[in-house]
Amino acid sequence: MKKKVGFFCLIFFFLVFIVSMPVWAQTPKKPPAKKPAAKPLGVEVIKFGGMGIMSGPLSICGRMIMMGAQSAIEEINAKGGILGSKCELKFMDDELRPAVGVKNVRYLVSEWGAHFILGVDSSGVAMAIGEIMPEMDRIYISTHASTDRLTEELVWKKGIKHIFRTTVPTYQEAILPAMIFKDFMHIKRWAGINCDYEYGYVSWSLFKETLKKYRPDVEFVASTWAPFWTMDFTPHISAALAANPDAIFSTPWGGEGVQLIRQALIMGAFDKIQLWWHPTGATTDFLEAVTSEVKADKFKGKLWVSGRYIHNWLQTPENKAFVERFVKRWAMYPFHPGQGAYDAVYFVKAALEKTRSLKTSEVIKALEGMELMTPAGRKYIRPEDHQAIYPTPAGRPVYDPAYPIAIVGDFKMIPAKEYFRHPPFEPVKISK
Amino acid sequence: METLAFQGLVGLSLAMYLWLLAAGLTIVFGVLGILNFAHGSLFMLGAYFAFTFYGLWGVNFWFAILLSLLSVGIVGYLMERLFLRHIYHLDHAYQLLLTFGFILIFDDAVKMVWGGVAKIPAMPTFFEGTFSVLGRLFPIYNVFIIGAGFLVALVLWLLFEKTWWGRMVRASASDREMASAIGVNIPTLFTGVFVFGAMLAALGGALGTPVRVVAPGIGAAMIIQAFIITVIGGLGNLKGAFVGAVIVGVLSAYSILLFPVFELFLIFVIMAVVLMVKPQGLFGR
Repeated sequence: MKKKVGFFCLIFFFLVFIVSMPVWAQTPKKPPAKKPAAKPLGVEVIKFGGMGIMSGPLSICGRMIMMGAQSAIEEINAKGGILGSKCELKFMDDELRPAVGVKNVRYLVSEWGAHFILGVDSSGVAMAIGEIMPEMDRIYISTHASTDRLTEELVWKKGIKHIFRTTVPTYQEAILPAMIFKDFMHIKRWAGINCDYEYGYVSWSLFKETLKKYRPDVEFVASTWAPFWTMDFTPHISAALAANPDAIFSTPWGGEGVQLIRQALIMGAFDKIQLWWHPTGATTDFLEAVTSEVKADKFKGKLWVSGRYIHNWLQTPENKAFVERFVKRWAMYPFHPGQGAYDAVYFVKAALEKTRSLKTSEVIKALEGMELMTPAGRKYIRPEDHQAIYPTPAGRPVYDPAYPIAIVGDFKMIPAKEYFRHPPFEPVKISK
Repeated sequence: METLAFQGLVGLSLAMYLWLLAAGLTIVFGVLGILNFAHGSLFMLGAYFAFTFYGLWGVNFWFAILLSLLSVGIVGYLMERLFLRHIYHLDHAYQLLLTFGFILIFDDAVKMVWGGVAKIPAMPTFFEGTFSVLGRLFPIYNVFIIGAGFLVALVLWLLFEKTWWGRMVRASASDREMASAIGVNIPTLFTGVFVFGAMLAALGGALGTPVRVVAPGIGAAMIIQAFIITVIGGLGNLKGAFVGAVIVGVLSAYSILLFPVFELFLIFVIMAVVLMVKPQGLFGR
């Protein structure tokens, strides 16, 4: 009996539903009580789809991108958004895998409705998603992935205008040190401990080629290769040291970079060599991990580092305020993927305020040649390859009691114009 | 020549981490017949617990390792009692599914508790410094790791060959029903063996904390190598696991020195060659 009653109730409601459908269709949507001013961009929310590595030893870099973008978005929203439209970030893990990155971009654009894509740590992932951006009709702003091929090949040569980059490419890893260390006449033998993927190949090849131009007398005596997820670098360090190098060039980054330098320390590498160039050593996760070693001068002044942004370098009001807000928000000092993501959001803001439209082709035009004062200094987006031009120095980790962790000091600066490559980019032979 | 010998020594320390992981894996397979994919996760948990006790709470390094072993032992106990016990009679495919599920659960649990960012504690000061070996500098820590690896091998040999418990384990490994008939309490023994294997994995993870990063996913990254080692040595064979680990560790170190371009797939080449020549593994029966 009970069952029957239930059944009839169901039928009844269903009928009511069917019958009332036309009524709903005709009822005009409730007019809002007070019509808000029309948004020039035509959307309530501007959606930023972010990506980076969010798991494993390198995950601090992905989190940095997320933190930087989120910081900018919170600041912008607190001031009323971009032309009245609020901003929103959705962040995904690309697992350092190109296929996952491509899948994420398709999801972010087609299903979630992202207007812009930013981030990505891995050069391999960036190259893969760069290729599909025209099809997605969205702009992708790289904030960390640094193979120079992204801007030189995809943007400049292939003409994929949908790609931009707010941070220095591998010029930082490779050309800057070549121009600095060319004057270190006593250093003649270089060995490489590099990442066994795009980033490592490009950096090492570009470094060798540039240094050789200035110093035909240098020799590259060993190169070893470490894939993602290498946990023990001692065989690599030992193999590099076996060639009796004067200096070592190393690209492993994130937590892997920390392990590498840690293991080099316990192997006594800093007693054997004159200099160690670790281009990602200005990241604050690295500096934090080696603070006690820096204090105890374990590196003997031989470790040279850099980054695409160094929080204690520029003493401008923009930078000081940025660092202060960042530390307050995330309890951590910012480093380049985060700072680059922060700038990416502000570049988009400046472009949208110029175009007053979300149309991709117009935003691309607005971004080309744009100049913006950022915490990392004035950045200029070169129209030819969509690369932001600005310098960051190299230096040595030092300890300053004003900071809880080691910082970079002894800066050596080269103007951006000199250490950036310029179109037409002469091809570099990339090899392992 | 000295370069080769030195690189071999470096490879040997690499091999010892692999040995600790492969030992537990092969014991559990040999006795329980379970291919425990989540063995790497226990390795990771060992590292996280050691990091927490030693790096965060400032517990003495040795005591932190001990506590980490006990904690992972408890995790292993719960895993066996609540889950694995029910699938011993099922096909290997189900075991792989269940243990693979554990990998995902442990990875996410670790992210929830410790966050996704890699952790690196400071090095205990008594491990700093180097020995001079063959005119090169060799880290004290690696000497310690090699010593620990051989010590574990010795202890395992004594345990399985010379003690009553070891004999019971071997008996139940070769014939479960017969062992049960002569009064071995199989379920309790299995729990014990699984906990023991889990603790070996944890030891490998915990010993790495001062020089390696602790991060979600390190277990999954190691487990493939450990599997390859057990396959090379013969599944379920302890001696095989030791020899396999030494082969893989030392040859990887040599290939990094001599053929850096091919290092990535060397381990797979070794496995392929062994499988072609002796499909049951070097020491397999």
